[in-house]
Amino acid sequence: MRIGNRRKIKFGTIFLYIIMFVLSIIWIYPYLWLFLASVKPSEEIFTRFLPTRLTLEHYQFIFETATRMERPFIRALLNSIFIAFTITFSVVFTSAFIGYAISKLRYRGKNLVFNFIIFQMLFPGFMFIVPLFVLIRTLGLLNSYSAIILPSIISAWGVFMFAQSYKSIPQDYIEAAKIDGANTFWIILRLMLPLTRSTASIVGLFTFIGAWDNFMWPLIVMKDYQKMPLAVLLASFNHEYSSYVGPLMAGAVIQTIPMVLIFIAFRKYFLQGISMSSK
Amino acid sequence: MTKPNKLKFKEALIGWQFSGIYLIYAAIFWGYPFVWLLILAFSRWKFFGKPKPAGFDNFIRLFQDPIFWRIFWNTINFMVYFIPMVVLGSFLFALALSKIKYFRTFFTLSFLVANVSSGVAYSILFSNLFSETGPVNSFLYKVFGFTIPWFSDPQLALLSIAIIVTWKFIGYYGLILFAGIQAIPKSLYEAAELDGASKWIQFWKITVPLVNPALTTVLVFAINLTFGIFTEPYMITGGGPMRRTLTFLLHIYTTAFQRMNPSYAAALAIITGALSYGCVILVRKLVEREVNLI
Repeated sequence: MRIGNRRKIKFGTIFLYIIMFVLSIIWIYPYLWLFLASVKPSEEIFTRFLPTRLTLEHYQFIFETATRMERPFIRALLNSIFIAFTITFSVVFTSAFIGYAISKLRYRGKNLVFNFIIFQMLFPGFMFIVPLFVLIRTLGLLNSYSAIILPSIISAWGVFMFAQSYKSIPQDYIEAAKIDGANTFWIILRLMLPLTRSTASIVGLFTFIGAWDNFMWPLIVMKDYQKMPLAVLLASFNHEYSSYVGPLMAGAVIQTIPMVLIFIAFRKYFLQGISMSSK
Repeated sequence: MTKPNKLKFKEALIGWQFSGIYLIYAAIFWGYPFVWLLILAFSRWKFFGKPKPAGFDNFIRLFQDPIFWRIFWNTINFMVYFIPMVVLGSFLFALALSKIKYFRTFFTLSFLVANVSSGVAYSILFSNLFSETGPVNSFLYKVFGFTIPWFSDPQLALLSIAIIVTWKFIGYYGLILFAGIQAIPKSLYEAAELDGASKWIQFWKITVPLVNPALTTVLVFAINLTFGIFTEPYMITGGGPMRRTLTFLLHIYTTAFQRMNPSYAAALAIITGALSYGCVILVRKLVEREVNLI
């Protein structure tokens, strides 16, 4: 009786593993197809899964020919890297400082600021797109990097995340550092940030992904092909030359690779960030 | 330990400096747009000159606009496809993950890597993968002898978009639920086992009620996602066929920046925000339960 039961469980478990393997393959398959499509000859993209020969002609097209067609993809890749890194760096540091003021310092009106941040987070970003465009136009910043970067350099969510994680650090640490003569900058950069490294990584990771993947806003404020982030240039290329499937796939691979690499490198923090989201 | 007044004052000064930087930034990039949003929604303006006060005109026109109602029903329709699919899928994924001992990292990563795909890139990918001559249709044709017009059939297009968004988010939502399941104390199951409760009863009496906070989170995320969809219809269908994949954001974008009617778009943005907020409140009322352990 018992042995039979155990066998049944074992069979069920093996079945579960098989299903999970099959599903995992199905989930990875689009990526695999994308990558293979970018390295196989054009005529094989829709006819064969595995290419008969490998070719880099699509990458060559996207990096050389497209540049001559006024679609500078190398430039766009560098633009994206510059924009995403600037935003991420700025958000992590401003959040670390402002979060410290909100959770660790004592002064009048502190709770008011904190409640204001919570209030801000109630409003979805898309509500502000039209008036924010008006602001950027009034400031004369259309078609500049600032138009994309400035609205995102400080994040209410980032401040909130740091403020919450600082709460678990005992006040004694800060008092001890102060007695040793540390100023506020030293306390934040050398004491608080290292102690909340995982929060910093989570904020940085999600900000980077958001900035890299942001599409609607740069699409609205950036019409200059030389300053477009990759996502926008790729989208406009897709609209104008949708029959160039191979180069499009190469472009999609280039747009995806940094996100996947960063995800694999920081997967631990990605998982932590996810399990924190329901608390 | 009481602090001398001078130190206290210094601390407050630093606090106000940092908060001040935040508040000034928020006043420019949040407060100013916020005020403009309200001004625009209640006036008529075409990007030039002074906005003319128009009272509730924009809102009245909005509710009489058949396109607005088309989008409204599209959104409901999308939720009917997307939410059951993604919630059931991610719940099964979380359960399977909690039953599995080996290869857990491999399964997690292969589902989660879909989530870091960039919106533009995966829209291009899927519009080719599901195209008339794409690999999915040629596989269907070879095996079953028919093809499916994924993105060109008015009814199917919305479902197809729901499917690819589900592909992207099942891993993410699944892990939120998995964290919820892992947080349930094992002793509860052991106690139920001793009382002779079957696995089925344990699932409905222990797992489902106790995973409620995570489930609510997933539902709220899914609703916010639904109201924020832009890239997929913009890239793949352009809102068509027959406006069946037109979303609120896509319409805000075309109204403001192609038809040059920002005041109407501002009113639409306010209504969209209110609708998504209303849906979240509704779901919280219907689903959320207080969970008290011990």
